[in-house]
Amino acid sequence: MNLAHKNTLNWIMVTFVLFIVLLLAGMFMRIIQANMFSSAQSWFYPMMTLHGVGMAGLWWVASIACASRVLSRYTAPSECVSRFALYGTVLGVLFLLASVFLGQFAAGWYFLYPLPFKGGWPTWATLSFLLSITILGATWLVWILDLLRSIAKKYTIGQALGWHYILGKTGPDVPPAVLITAVSLIAGVACLLSGVVVLLFFYYEMLTGVANDALLMKNLTFLFGHLLVNLSLYLAVAAVYDVFPSYTGRPWPSNKIVAISWNSVLVIVLLAYFHHLYMDFVQPTYFQYVGQIASYMSSIPAAVVTVFGAIALVYRAPVRWSLGFTLMFFGLMGWGIGGIGAVIDSTIAVNSKLHNTLWVPAHFHTYMIEGLVLMVLGYFYHYCQEKTKLQENLYFQKIIAALILVGGYGFLLMFYLSGAHSIPRRFAVYPADLSSGAQLSGIALIFISIFLLGLVLYIYETGRRWVKSLDV
Amino acid sequence: MKKFSAMIATLFVLIMSGGAIGANSGENSFQLKCAACHSIGGGDQIGPDLMGVTKRRDPNWLSQWIIHPDKMLNEKDPIAMELLKKYNQVPMPNLGVTEAEARDLIDYIAAQSETQKKDSAVPAQQTTQEPPSAGVFFGGLKGVQLTALVVFFVLSTIVVFVFWQIAKSTRQPVPTIDMKSAYKLRKWFFFGTAVLVFGTLIATLPKTPYPDDFQTPDRLVYVAAKQFGFSFSSEPITSASDAGQSTIINSLELPQGALIEFRVTSLDVNHGFALYDADHSIIAQTQAMPGYTNRLRVRFPKPGTYQILCLEYCGLAHHLMHAAVTVR
Ligand code: HEC
Ligand code: HEM
Ligand SMILES: [Cu+2]
Ligand SMILES: [Cu+2]
Repeated sequence: MNLAHKNTLNWIMVTFVLFIVLLLAGMFMRIIQANMFSSAQSWFYPMMTLHGVGMAGLWWVASIACASRVLSRYTAPSECVSRFALYGTVLGVLFLLASVFLGQFAAGWYFLYPLPFKGGWPTWATLSFLLSITILGATWLVWILDLLRSIAKKYTIGQALGWHYILGKTGPDVPPAVLITAVSLIAGVACLLSGVVVLLFFYYEMLTGVANDALLMKNLTFLFGHLLVNLSLYLAVAAVYDVFPSYTGRPWPSNKIVAISWNSVLVIVLLAYFHHLYMDFVQPTYFQYVGQIASYMSSIPAAVVTVFGAIALVYRAPVRWSLGFTLMFFGLMGWGIGGIGAVIDSTIAVNSKLHNTLWVPAHFHTYMIEGLVLMVLGYFYHYCQEKTKLQENLYFQKIIAALILVGGYGFLLMFYLSGAHSIPRRFAVYPADLSSGAQLSGIALIFISIFLLGLVLYIYETGRRWVKSLDV
Repeated sequence: MKKFSAMIATLFVLIMSGGAIGANSGENSFQLKCAACHSIGGGDQIGPDLMGVTKRRDPNWLSQWIIHPDKMLNEKDPIAMELLKKYNQVPMPNLGVTEAEARDLIDYIAAQSETQKKDSAVPAQQTTQEPPSAGVFFGGLKGVQLTALVVFFVLSTIVVFVFWQIAKSTRQPVPTIDMKSAYKLRKWFFFGTAVLVFGTLIATLPKTPYPDDFQTPDRLVYVAAKQFGFSFSSEPITSASDAGQSTIINSLELPQGALIEFRVTSLDVNHGFALYDADHSIIAQTQAMPGYTNRLRVRFPKPGTYQILCLEYCGLAHHLMHAAVTVR
């Protein structure tokens, strides 16, 4: 077995295991919120932290793993670095588990300064958490720098970003997957660097006792968090761009429009993070407006170029609706729906009523669970199926997709309704006045179970191919 | 579930009645720093019921514990370790209590335990839990929240419909489609999206909640958030020591219709400050950030009680951090 194949299989396995574990942590939170397991209440916030950091990190690495596999069709990323990234990620996760399970560290997934220092958990738990994030950040930085290196070896920066398409000059054909990956990874460097700066500020305060500026820390934290989540999605979209043509039999090449759209994404994604600070009235008002304008603008390239392009590719094409293609197709739909929820919330006047309500988890879980996750799972299935060419039972596969869609959207609907009812996010227990939050949690549990069933069947269907492809 | 609502209701009643009785420094500190986790005679919350604790424990231990519980936990004080185990390993945080404040607190807890004993015949008030019904989905939605939900449903339905049609179209495949007309369609789609985007931007950008300098507020209220409570004052509170000296308003009452400016800050971590109306709907909010003061302007539309909840995760008792305003 060659190293590239082995690496991909490893990432697939890590994704399956962690996804199930972290999903159960999510389910646990909904159980507590439904008032069904009061004696375990004190574990709510540690679990929330584990679930949040875990999921955000997991889908970030899973989509880099997809992007690196796709890239290797055109460039030569180092497989040793990918192996190193796997070990680094596992090590980081161990520190995370220690801080959450042994130290009950519970500062939430973006560990907003200065809560990690003032939460009541032991200092070593905070240190273990910060070390975990440092290890993960450093590992991923090495990984994406290597991917960028492999692109730079074949293309100049201008070519990788498709500037010759924009300027109408001649140049090499750059597959859209390479272009999108280049855009995402360049922003990814900014993302990880802002994470590093946040961590350095934390360590500095730990060593010297000099307090940091809370507003600056919040800006840096959200630059990091916002980019991490958005870039994960773009990387998964790159994989979809790459495999769609093989299902529809139509090419999806780069051109001027694709290049313009992804270059504008590079700028927009860096500016949109301001929407996380709308309710910080001391933030310069100018930034708040930039936040809303950038957030709105980001919908244009996504909807008009990528989603429209995908639709044109599929419209009346001779598609075989196998599990891989079905998931990726509906992944684009989920991305769109989550995007609508996001743009609504990125309206300052609306955010004033929805900020930090369950509307927020509602929209980001939509483009995660029904967007990114479906694209990545679709791609993983596609990968294993290509290697093994097993018989596909399309009827069974349709049922799997249906369970995942019905379970997922039902679960999400409860979040949206709660958000509209002003139910706060991150409440272990809802006050008596907001008891509808607890009832909606209970209903969500039914849908989570349906989703889980679909996921288990998916893992069975893909796992069989995974096992078989060990021998190829 | 019932038990839980009863507990919250009791806590609530305690806090409200506490506010009504009036000023006393032990009581102030208790409401501000302890009530999120403890009741006196109302049953265990995150921490133990403190009824009779002044008799149960050695006075010296008690004041040491209230002043620096973190230190005692670090030193593995045996009683502290036992309590920690009993209360789900949630450590009581250091709340910056001074020695004098601790004395007041202990007096207050002792006095309160006595009165509670006499009153124990009076049952705690219970809120009745409504049975689940269809109302839980859409009942009571209004205003911006309702609009957001409707817009979301309409746009999502369009997206789902389009994807469904596209999926169905693959039943009648053709080898190639006319890309020219696809590009033409895309142009229209682009204009449509652009008009929608820019139209909404122009319509909504002027409606921001940020304070301007053209209007002077009728009343200023200074708010200091602290794990896990809010304190209100008519003078600025910027540090823990101010909080001890400024006159704290115990039960906040504000006039209906007047322009109120809340000057919100935090004395420890980031908190939220969200106003909920009588229908349990958010009417306005801002963040409480240490080192900064956010100015939130509100006109209360109707008389009644408005709840204040912390909407930024601030630690283990985040969901218990609340206060109330009475509008007349
Ligand atoms: C975040 C929640 C929280 C807050 C706020 C809090 N406590 Fe505690 N308290 C606890 C917990 C939990 C325990 C049990 C010991 C442990 O787990 O550390 C406790 C234990 C105690 C005890 C010992 C009880 C016994 O049975 O011996 C006293 C006394 C006490 N707290 C007083 C206070 C006072 C006074 C304040 C306000 C200044 C306060 N607490 C604020 C959570 C809290
Ligand atoms: C079916 C699977 C999932 C379930 C049941 C689930 C459930 C939950 C719940 C109940 C919360 C807490 C909501 C609250 O604030 O009250 C939450 C938070 C969160 N979830 Fe999920 N989730 C799932 C999948 C995912 C995925 C795929 C991601 C990918 C990124 C994710 C990322 C997060 C993050 C970042 C948070 C915020 C944590 C915080 O506030 O610190 N979740 N989830
Ligand atoms: Cu708070
Ligand atoms: Cu809070």
